[in-house]
Amino acid sequence: MSSAPAETSADTGATAAGSDRPATLDTVLEVHGLTKQYGRLTAVDGVSFAVFAGETFGILGPNGAGKTTCLEMIEGLRVPDSGSIRLMGIDALAERRRVQEMIGVQLQSQALWLELTAEETLKTFQSLFRRRVRIDPLLERFSLTDKRRALVKHLSGGQKQRLSVATALVNDPQVVFLDEPTTGLDPQARHSFWDLIREMRQEGKTVIVTTHYMEEAEALCDRVAIMDLGRIISLDTPRALVDGLGSGSAIECEFAAAVDDHVLSALPGVRDVRREDGALLIFTIDVSATLDSLIKLGGGTGNLPKRLNVRSSTLEDVFISLTGRRLRD
Amino acid sequence: MSRRAFLQLVVAQATLLRRNTSFWLASIFTAVISMAVFGWLFNPESQAFDLALVDLDRSEASRSLVEAFSGLDSVELHRGDLDDEMDALNDGQRSALVVVPLGFAEGVARADAEIEVHYDNSDLVQIGYVTSTVEAVVNAFNERLAGRRDAVRTRSQAVDTKDVRFVDFLTPGMMGMTVMWVNLGVGFMLVTWREQGILRRLGVTPLRPGTLIASQAVSFAMVSLTQVTIILAMGGVVFNVDVAGSYIWLAVTVLLGVAAMLSVGYIIASVLRTVTSVNAAVNLIAFPMIFLGGSYFPLNTPPALTPLVNAIPLTHLNEALREVINQGDGPGEVWVRWAVLAGWALAGYLISMRFFRWQ
Repeated sequence: MSSAPAETSADTGATAAGSDRPATLDTVLEVHGLTKQYGRLTAVDGVSFAVFAGETFGILGPNGAGKTTCLEMIEGLRVPDSGSIRLMGIDALAERRRVQEMIGVQLQSQALWLELTAEETLKTFQSLFRRRVRIDPLLERFSLTDKRRALVKHLSGGQKQRLSVATALVNDPQVVFLDEPTTGLDPQARHSFWDLIREMRQEGKTVIVTTHYMEEAEALCDRVAIMDLGRIISLDTPRALVDGLGSGSAIECEFAAAVDDHVLSALPGVRDVRREDGALLIFTIDVSATLDSLIKLGGGTGNLPKRLNVRSSTLEDVFISLTGRRLRD
Repeated sequence: MSRRAFLQLVVAQATLLRRNTSFWLASIFTAVISMAVFGWLFNPESQAFDLALVDLDRSEASRSLVEAFSGLDSVELHRGDLDDEMDALNDGQRSALVVVPLGFAEGVARADAEIEVHYDNSDLVQIGYVTSTVEAVVNAFNERLAGRRDAVRTRSQAVDTKDVRFVDFLTPGMMGMTVMWVNLGVGFMLVTWREQGILRRLGVTPLRPGTLIASQAVSFAMVSLTQVTIILAMGGVVFNVDVAGSYIWLAVTVLLGVAAMLSVGYIIASVLRTVTSVNAAVNLIAFPMIFLGGSYFPLNTPPALTPLVNAIPLTHLNEALREVINQGDGPGEVWVRWAVLAGWALAGYLISMRFFRWQ
């Protein structure tokens, strides 16, 4: 069934230039003005975005940003207070079951029956859909073949997580929603998970994934929506987001005595200065000129940096630059 | 409703219940231990009870009824004057006093005869089989009325009259109790699924709540029928407990009991949110039900409690099981109890459909 999407590159104009996402303009998901309130808390506040066929779309944000609530409304689990959702051309709010027939969902909690085997679990989920794939290749793909008759409660954390994602594919969905699929996994398991997600993309599936790991968003996603306090504060390709900072590098440093922000901002190459927990984060387009003057500044006043760390800018820096806070506490 | 989803969910849930050994074994264990203890402690040889008979009518009809009582092994029959026997009952020397009143023969002819049964209410264990024995004898007598013209044959029927021992009385009560325990467990299952996110996970599939509920009812019914069969087999093999009535009516009664108890479980799960609170609620409801519903001993409840006892589904499940197993009754006699159980099932279904939430 799966055919690789056409990889012919063309500028669609819909996103920032330089995007290398599959060149198809089909909009698979269109969300407009989505809002959800819990009492006085606005969990999702007028969110709008579109996801194109075949792309891996990331929603990046800290815990409590509204990522999960957003997904749950699209999946038909929560009813939004206002807004519209179109999935594959269908009004998802009016025809919930028709949409659910065509999507695959992995929720944040693993949601598995502990006393069923891996195979029984997949069979049970498979029975709920009209369209279904064979179980054996699915077990094989998620490296669960030798665990097919093992009870879920005897599986390791990573195996359970793989099974949980496998249940999202039993109906050969066109759109797959993964809610923080790698949270709690060790780095090695996380990387093999990324391969599984890339494989879905290669099959032509549209993948919508939430995460609070910026490396994950950078590694997997064609485009990333950065979410904070219920709103999308930025949406673009990871590269365009980082480029948008206007600085190639970030310098993290700590001085023995306080240094005024104005002094630092005036240094050559500096685009932005942020402070958090006593540490300074200086974004620069000219890392050598900035470093040079930073050391001179310290030498002249006898206030040399205690700690200094230079690195390329990341999505994390984008988030800090936009909100003044880190993704994770 | 998707048939494939329904069947697979039945299989999956029956598998889950079967693998949850402590869940279904604990209730059956309680029943079997109770039967063993009470069956051996209160067997008919050691526990013949004193029954007083006062015949005020002294007609042919009343004499044949008295004769029916005298054929029982488990009864030490006393005949005498009404005042003397009433005194003996009050002194604890008689378990029960049966009075055949004046005008009994005319009553039999009109088919609305009555006899009075006074029994010793202080001995909880005895009441069950005392009243059941009297009822069994009267039932046999009534059956005989239908074929009154054949005098000889009626006598042989009287000899066949089965005396109800305590274990005969207890076995249906234990079946009812087990049906209750296991099916109230659906509340525990639902709330566990809710806590683990399984209900939410099912909620993002095209599955309809009605399909889920129906499949749960079928898998719980399968488990209950198996348990009830085990208890009945143990009663039959070890204690010679007979099923006087039809196995079909017995199955109908069990299934209606399953539906009624599931509905109570659903109501609990729709009101309460956590596993611990559901656990507490099930225990809080189950134990009074077992005693007020008469699983072990029939209670002579004070009038104030009668409406409560009559509202409890277990009361009707136990009684319907006893009527079918001990007295050989069919739909003609037990339909009211069936109706009450069905009413509970319907109410629970409507409430759970109304309040069902995937999360």
